[in-house]
Amino acid sequence: MKLEIKGLSFSFGDKKVLKDVTFDVEPGEFIGLMGPNGSGKTTLLRCIMNYLNPPADSVLLDGVSTNTQSSEDLARTFAVVPQSSSTDFTFSAYDIVMMGRLPHRSSRFAGPTMEDAAAVQEAMERTDTWKYATRRFFALSGGERQRVIIARAVAQRPKALLLDEPTVYLDINGQLEVMDLIKTLNKEQGITVISVLHDVNLAARYCDKIALLSNGWLEAYGSPVAVLNPDTIQSVYGVDVVVRKDPFTNAVYVMPHSSLAAGPRHGRRVHLLCGGGVGGPFMKSLLDAGFGVSTGVLNVLDSDFENARDLRIPTVAELPFSAISESAFRDNIALVRDSEFVVLSPFPVGPGNLKNVEAAKQAAAMGKRVIVVRPEEGRGIDFVGGRADEIVKELISSGAIPVKDMADMLREISRGVA
Amino acid sequence: MSLSRPDTEDEGVDFAKVMRRRLVWLVLLVVGLVASAFVAVLVGTLGPIGPGDPEYISFEEAFGAIFHGQGDLPDYYANVFWEVRIPRVLLAAAVGAALACAGTAMQAVFRNPMADPFIVGVSSGASLGAVVASLTGLASIAVLGALMTPTLAFASALLTVFVVYYLGVVGGKVYVNTLLLSGVAVAAFLGAMVSLLIYFAGQQYHRIIFWMLGSLSMASWTAVIVVVLAAVLGIVLVYISSRDLNALLLGEETAHNLGVDAEGLKTLMLVVAAVMTAAAVAFTGVIGFVGLIIPHMLRLVVGADHRILVPAATLSGAIFLIWADTVARAVIAPTELPVGIITALCGGPFFLYLLRRNRILGDAL
Amino acid sequence: MTSKSMGKTTKNVWTVLIVILVAVFSFAGGYLAGITISGQNEGFTIVDDYGRTVTLDGIPQRIVSIAPSSTEILFAVGAGPQVVGVDNYSDYPAEAAGLPKVGDFPPSTEAIVALQPDLIVGGDLVPLAQLEQLANQGIPYVLFADRTLEDVMKTIRLAGVITGHVSEADEVAGELEDRIDAVKAKIQDSGLPKPKVYVEYDDFMGFWTYGPGSFGDDLITSAGGVNIAHNTSSEYPTVESEYVIAQDPDIIIFTTGPWSTLSKDTYINRPGWSTIDAVENGDIYGVDANLISRYGPRVIDCLELLAEIFYPEVFP
Repeated sequence: MKLEIKGLSFSFGDKKVLKDVTFDVEPGEFIGLMGPNGSGKTTLLRCIMNYLNPPADSVLLDGVSTNTQSSEDLARTFAVVPQSSSTDFTFSAYDIVMMGRLPHRSSRFAGPTMEDAAAVQEAMERTDTWKYATRRFFALSGGERQRVIIARAVAQRPKALLLDEPTVYLDINGQLEVMDLIKTLNKEQGITVISVLHDVNLAARYCDKIALLSNGWLEAYGSPVAVLNPDTIQSVYGVDVVVRKDPFTNAVYVMPHSSLAAGPRHGRRVHLLCGGGVGGPFMKSLLDAGFGVSTGVLNVLDSDFENARDLRIPTVAELPFSAISESAFRDNIALVRDSEFVVLSPFPVGPGNLKNVEAAKQAAAMGKRVIVVRPEEGRGIDFVGGRADEIVKELISSGAIPVKDMADMLREISRGVA
Repeated sequence: MSLSRPDTEDEGVDFAKVMRRRLVWLVLLVVGLVASAFVAVLVGTLGPIGPGDPEYISFEEAFGAIFHGQGDLPDYYANVFWEVRIPRVLLAAAVGAALACAGTAMQAVFRNPMADPFIVGVSSGASLGAVVASLTGLASIAVLGALMTPTLAFASALLTVFVVYYLGVVGGKVYVNTLLLSGVAVAAFLGAMVSLLIYFAGQQYHRIIFWMLGSLSMASWTAVIVVVLAAVLGIVLVYISSRDLNALLLGEETAHNLGVDAEGLKTLMLVVAAVMTAAAVAFTGVIGFVGLIIPHMLRLVVGADHRILVPAATLSGAIFLIWADTVARAVIAPTELPVGIITALCGGPFFLYLLRRNRILGDAL
Repeated sequence: MTSKSMGKTTKNVWTVLIVILVAVFSFAGGYLAGITISGQNEGFTIVDDYGRTVTLDGIPQRIVSIAPSSTEILFAVGAGPQVVGVDNYSDYPAEAAGLPKVGDFPPSTEAIVALQPDLIVGGDLVPLAQLEQLANQGIPYVLFADRTLEDVMKTIRLAGVITGHVSEADEVAGELEDRIDAVKAKIQDSGLPKPKVYVEYDDFMGFWTYGPGSFGDDLITSAGGVNIAHNTSSEYPTVESEYVIAQDPDIIIFTTGPWSTLSKDTYINRPGWSTIDAVENGDIYGVDANLISRYGPRVIDCLELLAEIFYPEVFP
């Protein structure tokens, strides 16, 4: 069943909630509808299911406008899973799922049949809710209830599943349960899925395509990788993010920056010596404190290299699997020269990057304020037979300031600034 | 589904078994209804189940009078059964069934366990009509007089519902919360008007008490025919809407997504319930409690699925009111009590007991 | 519940109980305090039909009557000129109807006080609290309560004492007693069997009749009829249809009046009543509601009317 949205505009009275939205959904696709609050996602979903009446011919199923179809026909096409379901009445889970068979009754007056019973049992077994069948619906947990509702949707044998933020009231366990279930139904039965999702990473992980709405406009429509990039997200959500790939699923995932405005940019520069992922927090806290930051030398495969790149910090890079070369070392010193402070973070030191520690020595010689971060004695970060430790001792005895942690470091630097 | 046992970890549901069990329930209820009616007809101040004041009719005589006509029995025996008791028992059954069924429908439409058949103003409207009929002397017009009170009560009840409905519907959509509130407001207003009229009529308060509590003492074959017709029509319409009502209970949006025409359903149920209830109230006054509690009691026993709940509640309502009226007639014979006292006295504690037994806490019914 | 929360709940319950008890006792106390009648040293004391001892300064000259039956009694003993105000329903005699009105139930305190009465006379349905208030302001009240014809005679005499028309009252009462005796004697002499009578005063949601202890019951009995509701359990019961059918009364009496909906047809058309003698023979009669329920001197008229109905051969 192909769904086409063509120029869908919708208003509540004077308020325009959807503006000329156009996109297509191929059969069997898993689409995520996303956007900030008030962007029109739920309205869009409701227009698709025809609970709200969209303008004629703006929602087409296999070429036929939904306006022309009866609500029973539409109920055989779409099954809806809302955010949450509850009732004060004592329906059992079975009763709830049986209601999904309503669109398939032979006449207005027909009661449930053995065929209906079979469909219900199958749907509940598939969603692992068959064991709750006689339990009262309201007595189930949030996750269990959602699964029962999904069972109802399955029993409805729809061509498409429409979900409105199905995981918003679930804990992390429940969230994954539900999303996995939906994905399974999508893949195994070819049911198209259109779901409003608020969790960007969930969407990135499960959706084939994402429709990103902002203020009623369709800002982007495409694969998660294409849609979820820092620039689009900044323009739609107004949030700075860093986009990475989940190392296990290869799906993109999004990490927001701190929303705290960085302190007054006082233009003082700090050069950070780091590696092995240790530098990430330092980079961020220094940036937040308003300093300009540079770093090096970092191997291209080092996670600190990625961190620096994502935070747009000038970096001296080195080729994969290579020790720091002379030219890299010189570039590093050049950056040191441009900075006022040098921070030597407690990164693991090996033969390949011992030169980064030596850079600190040179910085001190150049008269730069060097701050050495040494959390505890004997932390096992020296893999060069103690030579790094020796250099550090020398540094401290010749004026470098030792600090125990990041907070201390910031204090020292600020003192230096004041 | 019988939910009389609290949550157990059963493996699923045997559909066929459940359907069979429901049928058994219904058959039992029908048998219970017939038996209750039969026994009730034998109860009265003249016996055979009763004090025998001023004289005693034996069982033999009773059967003789019922089935074989007069024979050599006193001429009024047959009258007592065929003109007084049997219409009264039948009316009790019809009214009990109508009120319980209407109550079930209203609870679904308003998605509110506190809803009862009078929620949209039927009782206050009917009261106004009845009081006007009797106070203006319309009820004492020669031939039509006897029907004047029920007719005016019925018409006034429907008119009231129409007004309340009109206030609660905007642009074709029935807003149940608005409906509820306008029902409350209209009922208060009409109630005040009724009190005013009674007051100006001067010290006739006892009348209003019996009307407000309800009584089956004005039963006649005319009343039976009218109420049975209205009740049967209403019950059938509510029953065939059972699955739709189930869906409606989950919310308007869910109902729509399951293909149910929520607006049409709500309107139909309101009209049906109003007609059934108005017909009942017109002849018996406002018998409370049946329409509110019977559906709940049955929900606790047979579950919330309307396909079993509607017939079960309907039959139970009939049985309940037959018994309540029997008690109202017999307890201080030959004087009568208003049946509404009995329905409240008996039903309340029993419902509380069921509630406790099911260990359902809070307001989750 | 934990013992701590149990303790808290118990405390709450006790608090509520104490508050309620305090409220009840203060109301009761206030009420009782108001009941003492401030009497004066001169004048005379009488005991009214409720057994209340009331002290009057002298013969009351400005009487307000808040019950139609009391009004009729006052006028009958000649105390009409001493009556300055009556309730809305006091329409007999004509002079009473023309007097200033003080309302019905409850009467208006303002209207009463405006008339500056020195005595209030009431019947059965009285707003006790209101009267107590007026008593505290120096306006005493006296209550007439009658359940039988005999009671009415006593009350007439009492009214005479109160209003200073002792001899007139005696005369009136004596006359009425003679008439009662005459009726009773005639009935007795005739040797006719007593007819069974069913009297109904309303049929709204039930058949309302006069039970034992009610005035109507006494009237029926005194007029030589047997009230079929005489052995029921309350003064104004609703009886079951089949009871009346089985009793098979010879005569049916219904009350008429502006608010009555009863007529002869009511009984002819009632389901199952066709076998009743009274219905078969058409012995269904209407009686003015005021006559049968208002226990003033006119009850004798009602008595005679009923006797005529019950014994047509004796009282043509």
